[in-house]
Amino acid sequence: MVEEVSGLGRFSDPALFILVSLAGGEKHGYAMMEDIGATCGVRLGPGTLYGALARLERRGLAEPLVSDERRKPYRITAAGASALEAKLREIEGFARAGLGRLATA
Amino acid sequence: MSWLLKRIVRLYPRAWRERYEDEFGAMLEERPASVSDVYDVATGALDAWLFPQVIHERSVALIGSRMRRSVLLVLWAWAGVMAAGVGFQKMTEYEDFVRAAHESAPVGVAFDAIVVGALIALVAVLAGGAPIMFAALRNAIGSGRKDVPLLLCVPPITAGIFVGYVLVLVRVVDPIFGDPAVHDPVNVVLFVSIVVMFMLAVLASTASVSAAIGRSGVGERLYRFALYPAALAAVAMVVVSAATVVWGLALWVQDPALFAGDDGILATPTAASWLVVVAVMGCSACTAVAAAVSGFKASGYENEPI
Repeated sequence: MVEEVSGLGRFSDPALFILVSLAGGEKHGYAMMEDIGATCGVRLGPGTLYGALARLERRGLAEPLVSDERRKPYRITAAGASALEAKLREIEGFARAGLGRLATA
Repeated sequence: MSWLLKRIVRLYPRAWRERYEDEFGAMLEERPASVSDVYDVATGALDAWLFPQVIHERSVALIGSRMRRSVLLVLWAWAGVMAAGVGFQKMTEYEDFVRAAHESAPVGVAFDAIVVGALIALVAVLAGGAPIMFAALRNAIGSGRKDVPLLLCVPPITAGIFVGYVLVLVRVVDPIFGDPAVHDPVNVVLFVSIVVMFMLAVLASTASVSAAIGRSGVGERLYRFALYPAALAAVAMVVVSAATVVWGLALWVQDPALFAGDDGILATPTAASWLVVVAVMGCSACTAVAAAVSGFKASGYENEPI
């Protein structure tokens, strides 16, 4: 499951930010950019955002919703939520180990 | 800056634009564009070309046919190398060339490399082609089609006709004319007729196998597998071509008189025969390499790192 996100190469981090953003509810592209900027402190460029989004969609981790507007909202899929949780648990374990070492240093 | 962004978006692949352009454009309109956005969208367009995430249904259908075309092109290239190789073998079976190969290490090693390369190419073509032939026959028998088995019968039939023709010439026609000299018009005509028959047999065999494969409906998986032996065959053809070049150059250095003589095919200039063989082998090997690369590119279209 972790590989679903880690295996995206240079799009791994943007994909992770997008999944975190979509975990908070469905959003269209611009809303994702704003949310990611606010929660992660990262400004994703439009090309990077859609490069990662296309990869997530192709892997079935995020999916578009039907919309009459030009702005198309996306939501995280069940597979995307599992992959995100696995990745966050990995990061959590890594962070805990690092902080533990710092505390005993 | 926004007009520039819109221009750059046009650089994305058509399939990507059909899927994302509308919503992407809507997102770009929601905020003023910056220089970094221009760079980001430009690199995004490059990424979309290098690692396509959106594939036309038509493109998916084309992947199989592109791999099949690549495999067949390697088969045609191998037929070209084989035809030139037979000419080379006929030329070098004369005692003078055999002696040169024994006396000169470069000539001998190059000749051995040609033989080994040709054998590897043959094995690779058989390894890649046999599963496809088997599947084509199985599909044809399963669906009650007769055209595919008939087409696959053409190579052994043409081989039989060719061997029969040569036997008739050697045992019946040749004695009638009293074993004519090399440059005797009768001998020239007979030899040219053998060459023509051989070329027709190779063309008919390769064309019929290609047609059989084209009609067989063999699955994409077998073509994907066949690309590996096809690549090995292409490399072997390059080795054969390079070794043939080395053989000629080494012979030129080792025995200039022999190289400049008239011991080529049908007692034509040796250098000219060698050049024709090298040209045919070189073109065929280049075709095989290009076909193998194209096939791998097609096969990797769905499996690009994403």
